[in-house]
Amino acid sequence: MRLKIATLVLSAVLLPGIASALATGDGIPDKDTKMLNVDGAEVSIGGVAGAKGTLVVFTCNQCPYAKAWEGRIATLGNDYAKQGIGVIAVNPNDPNKQPGDSYDAMKQRAKEKGFAFPYAVDATSGVAKAFGATKTPEVYLFDASGKLVYHGAVDDNSENADAVKTHYLNDALDAVVAGKAPSPAETKALGCGIKFR
Amino acid sequence: MPSRFPSTRSAARLVFAALLASTSAVAAEPATSGRALEPDAAGAAGIVPTQPALVPASGPQVLDAVKTSGAKVVIVNLWATWCVPCREEFPDLMRFHRDYKDRGVRLLLVSGDFSSESDAAREFLASQGVDFPSYLKSGNDEELINTFDPQWSGALPATFVYDAKGQRRHSFLGPVTYSSLEHEVAPLLVATP
Repeated sequence: MRLKIATLVLSAVLLPGIASALATGDGIPDKDTKMLNVDGAEVSIGGVAGAKGTLVVFTCNQCPYAKAWEGRIATLGNDYAKQGIGVIAVNPNDPNKQPGDSYDAMKQRAKEKGFAFPYAVDATSGVAKAFGATKTPEVYLFDASGKLVYHGAVDDNSENADAVKTHYLNDALDAVVAGKAPSPAETKALGCGIKFR
Repeated sequence: MPSRFPSTRSAARLVFAALLASTSAVAAEPATSGRALEPDAAGAAGIVPTQPALVPASGPQVLDAVKTSGAKVVIVNLWATWCVPCREEFPDLMRFHRDYKDRGVRLLLVSGDFSSESDAAREFLASQGVDFPSYLKSGNDEELINTFDPQWSGALPATFVYDAKGQRRHSFLGPVTYSSLEHEVAPLLVATP
């Protein structure tokens, strides 16, 4: 009982305002919240939703895991955007806590990596909190009806793209485009704790 | 990543035995080089390396080391050189380790750095006064995460407290402090005969 109370208290202290983690089948939270995209325009998750599905990637500029995966994220996002998947990358970090995640740095990174999809600022970290996201990178894939069908990692090897054995997100995107349910629906990987505002 | 160990259980025991031996080795003379020593070499030579050894290990291998430690309490801390809250909590972790190691508490450090950053990891450990070998995470991340706590998302830092039977008694899914560690560990020391 003490353990449960302590865990709840600790969670409340460390993760204020964090919603419970989304479960498979849940709808897109905060989909109408406007976020500033690197092109200067405002964008929302609902506004980029695709006919076949929607991919939301919480990522950032500085985290080594995010940086290791961002080339793969760019390739997947760019490719599947052409197949009816709406794609958006969201940076939830407070640049005061992590200066490398400033808006200007995001613009530069999106250009360098050739993002053909929005890379937007979660100005209050509220969108990340609504998703229950805790780290970068963290991927959420919703199907055509806006239901969560995959959550977790890009693949099973952040450090070495050539040594990947299971391409979780790629496989999930293929399934969603085909109107099928991804399997597994959830995976995990190490990541950098979000620097909440 | 291919395992360096002959078999999981025996290898984990070998590594942990070497970790304990190295921890107890007293520095009779300064290290003769900055080269990181393997755990068994460090213990055998009685030399404290300038940079501690960093041994690749999977989640199950670290957990096996927990269960075979013989300690009253084992603290497993997941950290990385680039993780600011990890670096910020480190002094408290090390101070707790120094204060409680003679009371049967063992500290197992597991770096989440990429293998290409091993040198940076060892440099940081040395700068924090870590004079015992520790681990560099190896193998599948999901297996590692679920080994320690299926409720853990994988965000760093994270710290797990195990009792004398190797049962997880508390998960810190975020930074720790000296007092928060003491709050969870002290009762386990009293409870242990």
